[in-house]
Amino acid sequence: MTRFHRLLPYVALATLAVAGVSLVGLPSEEARSEGVARSVRVEASTFAFTPATIEVDPGDRVTIELASADVVHGLHIEGYDVNLTADPGQPTSATFTADRPGTYRIRCSVPCGPLHPFMSGRLRVGPPSTFWRAIALAFIAVAVGGTALWRKPTRPGARLGPS
Amino acid sequence: MGLRRLSPSTTLRAGSEHLARIALALVTLAVPLAVAVAWWGANRSPSAVTIHGRVSEAGGWLPGTLRAVVGSPLQLRLVSDDVVHGFAIGRSDAAPIDLPPGQVVETTLTFDQPGTYTFYCTRWCGPDHWRMRGVIEVSGSQPAAPEVVEPLYESLGIDIDAPHPASAVPQVRPSPERGEALGFEPPEGFRSRPDFIARPPAETWQSLRLDPSTRGLSESQVWDLVAYQWRSATTDAALQEGQALFAQNCAACHGESGGGDGVIALRTPEGVAEAVPAAGATHLAGEQPPSPADFTDPSTMLGASSALLQGKILRGGMGTGMPYWGPILTEAQLWALTDYLWTFQFGETS
Amino acid sequence: MAETHTPRSPFGSIMTRVDLTRLPFVRSMLVARGPQLAVQLAAVAGLLLVIAAGLLGTPVGSRNPATVLVWIAWWAALMIVAVPFFGRLWCGVCPLPLPGEWLQRGALLRPRGRGRGLGLPWPRRLRGLWVQNAAFVIVALFSLPVLTQPRLTALLLAGLVLVAIAISLVFERRSFCRYLCPVGGFIGLYAQAAPLEVRVRDPRVCADHTTKTCYTGSADGYGCPWLVFPATLTSNVSCGVCLECLRTCPLDNVAIRLRPMGADLRRSTPIRIDEAFKSLVLIGSALVYAFVLLGPSSALRAAAAAVGSQSWLAYAAGFLLVTVVLVPGLFLVATRLGPSVGSSHLSAKEGLQRFAPALVPLGLAAWAAFSLGFVLTNASYILPALSDPIGLGWDLLGTTSMPWAPVGGPLVSWALSAIVLVGLAWSSRQVRAVAEDLAGGVRMALPVWGFSFLVTAGLLWVFVA
Repeated sequence: MTRFHRLLPYVALATLAVAGVSLVGLPSEEARSEGVARSVRVEASTFAFTPATIEVDPGDRVTIELASADVVHGLHIEGYDVNLTADPGQPTSATFTADRPGTYRIRCSVPCGPLHPFMSGRLRVGPPSTFWRAIALAFIAVAVGGTALWRKPTRPGARLGPS
Repeated sequence: MGLRRLSPSTTLRAGSEHLARIALALVTLAVPLAVAVAWWGANRSPSAVTIHGRVSEAGGWLPGTLRAVVGSPLQLRLVSDDVVHGFAIGRSDAAPIDLPPGQVVETTLTFDQPGTYTFYCTRWCGPDHWRMRGVIEVSGSQPAAPEVVEPLYESLGIDIDAPHPASAVPQVRPSPERGEALGFEPPEGFRSRPDFIARPPAETWQSLRLDPSTRGLSESQVWDLVAYQWRSATTDAALQEGQALFAQNCAACHGESGGGDGVIALRTPEGVAEAVPAAGATHLAGEQPPSPADFTDPSTMLGASSALLQGKILRGGMGTGMPYWGPILTEAQLWALTDYLWTFQFGETS
Repeated sequence: MAETHTPRSPFGSIMTRVDLTRLPFVRSMLVARGPQLAVQLAAVAGLLLVIAAGLLGTPVGSRNPATVLVWIAWWAALMIVAVPFFGRLWCGVCPLPLPGEWLQRGALLRPRGRGRGLGLPWPRRLRGLWVQNAAFVIVALFSLPVLTQPRLTALLLAGLVLVAIAISLVFERRSFCRYLCPVGGFIGLYAQAAPLEVRVRDPRVCADHTTKTCYTGSADGYGCPWLVFPATLTSNVSCGVCLECLRTCPLDNVAIRLRPMGADLRRSTPIRIDEAFKSLVLIGSALVYAFVLLGPSSALRAAAAAVGSQSWLAYAAGFLLVTVVLVPGLFLVATRLGPSVGSSHLSAKEGLQRFAPALVPLGLAAWAAFSLGFVLTNASYILPALSDPIGLGWDLLGTTSMPWAPVGGPLVSWALSAIVLVGLAWSSRQVRAVAEDLAGGVRMALPVWGFSFLVTAGLLWVFVA
């Protein structure tokens, strides 16, 4: 086996590692221009948020109004400090600036019945870049696992031996 | 290649087994025993009563009837078994107590007068939230003052179940500010608050229009006078209280903007998610009850007097989903609420 | 490489196993029954607390120790720590079979000669993993109400204990654990990835040993309760780390070893079809669970929770379709898409049997990531639940009123992605290894990589999109 062949897995691994790290570290689409003011009315019922996904652009000034449809519900956006509680008939609202891009889970913060832990929605600020980067990283993961990490067994006939 | 044994002698082995069994017995008994002792202790406490709060469809307040003695403190341990509830005594100025699910909250009540007190849920917990009420029978040495006060609508002879179409409706939303700016002295019989609450606005308008002192005023200006009559018959404090009461108690069905389209009303029995029991059985013959009243509709609202509205709130509707608020709201609160309802007809829209 | 000789010192070459039982302290702690019993008694106490709390405490799932301790604390600890790093170690202390086993043995510690039960062998036709596969699927279909209601959790656990007692009094040894326990099938499959194993040091020593006390038992200990013959143990799937063989072997030939993770995934012989199928069912279940519980459709969640209704039947049909038909079917297609090259030496069945173990790291990563997300969101329920275990208003730990404090955000999204991606990389490596073993090379690996990629993409979409 030439030196080239011996070094190839390491070179491949290094290249893929660099690609992977840069994918993670790549700055996401920051607010380039002054965002618009948006207003969203979220209806909370047992056990759903409608709409389940809120899409805004980075930099937008977002006003979320929480309206409960049956019992007291809460709305908590992880990553942003937004916490609302609303009784049916008494909507509450909060305004924040969506300056951090990414996808953030919206969860109900007031126990509202058995399925309460699974009552969730999403706030998507900007395109779902984390997802696409993860997909790209998945390609890299297959490449890394299937080539760079795999080693030809050194002893012939040892392939099908017990582990 | 000897195996190191930890218990070489047979007696030591038997001893270890016995020790192990004692440990097992302790573990097996300790938990149930601790639980049983705690359970017994909690249920045998002579003074504290534990009340579980559940949505009406699942039983409401359990127990729903309590007994107390005048002057003797009643200790309550309140716990919600499903969603956020609240606890308050009707027609009392004690602050309501919020009940987060699963957390025990303690409170002590002391009653000065004997009688029947209603306690109720203060946080909306479903379509039958208003049915979540219980009763405390307070006995005492002095006889209970018979609190039979004839409601105003009865003494005025108003049939609160009859339809009340308005004989006239304004073209433009009446404004109390414009009415005040007219500088008009209302005729006799239209000046005081009792005059205001006894007469429907449409009737007031008709009467004012026929009065010679209003000749020269346009129809909408007379409506503004009607609006001004309302506004001067009430106070800012009453309107604020009415607004708060409306938001807490009425908006869920009647809508925040009074249009009869509240979130609870929109959930038909079929539309209710399966996780929340259907409210169907609460109405006559399982029929879909009529929608809550639309306070923004002048053709019905302006034909109703405050006394009629107060009567409906007090007694509730037969065959509709309208609760009866008599045991819950004081006289002052009921009138503050009716005063507030006119903001859906008069003045700036919110 | 065949492991026929193990160096005397625990620290041999870095690529061989590290024999922990060569360390005298470790060995004596494992052989002694006291420490293990202590942990088992703690587990029994926990089980009793959970059942009592579930039956007597508040019905609110987020505040009752039954739901909180079992489905948040224990499940997360199992999927994130215990199984990936310690294999089936939980099975050695699990409280569910213990009452039955103690009754069956008539002793808590060493054998005392008495015991109860008929000791019948498990029916031949019911052996294998099909019953466990079915048990897992059934439990999974009913899981949402059980997961969220304390009373149902308590009844499930109490029911399992009673079943285990009954099985122990009729059948031999740990038949319940080996053939029925729904969790066991799950743990057994993924234990293959763990760096801990129980193996014999030298199989030739076993071959010469006629009495086979590791299987038949002796005065020092019971024959393997898991109905495994230690000398031929080559994977972690069925070994419940109960340590009996360590105690009974008179030749000191049993060892607990550290080894490279995933060493069980390369087998000389293809795994059985029921094991292969289990691996596929579990990865399909991970996808369905993630999509139903964390996905955008609350209608689907409501259907999953409304057990017995029409919508639930539709959900159940969908669940079964995906886990039993679609995912295994897609995998089968992937294994067949490799080069046939006229040499049809690889039958459909053998394709499944050879490639399914390679999915173990990905499946484990999927479940670990799913559990991590759930526990980070809900771990703050643990202290309040412990502080007021039966809902009487106690404040034992002072934490009864502690607010809910979820841990989330972009960092968590990346953590979940990282776990899934590591699983994908590792699985891809295993797939390549199998493809090379079968002389199919990269072309044979590619479709299976494609399958793994699709599964990963689905998981990533649910976790981070």
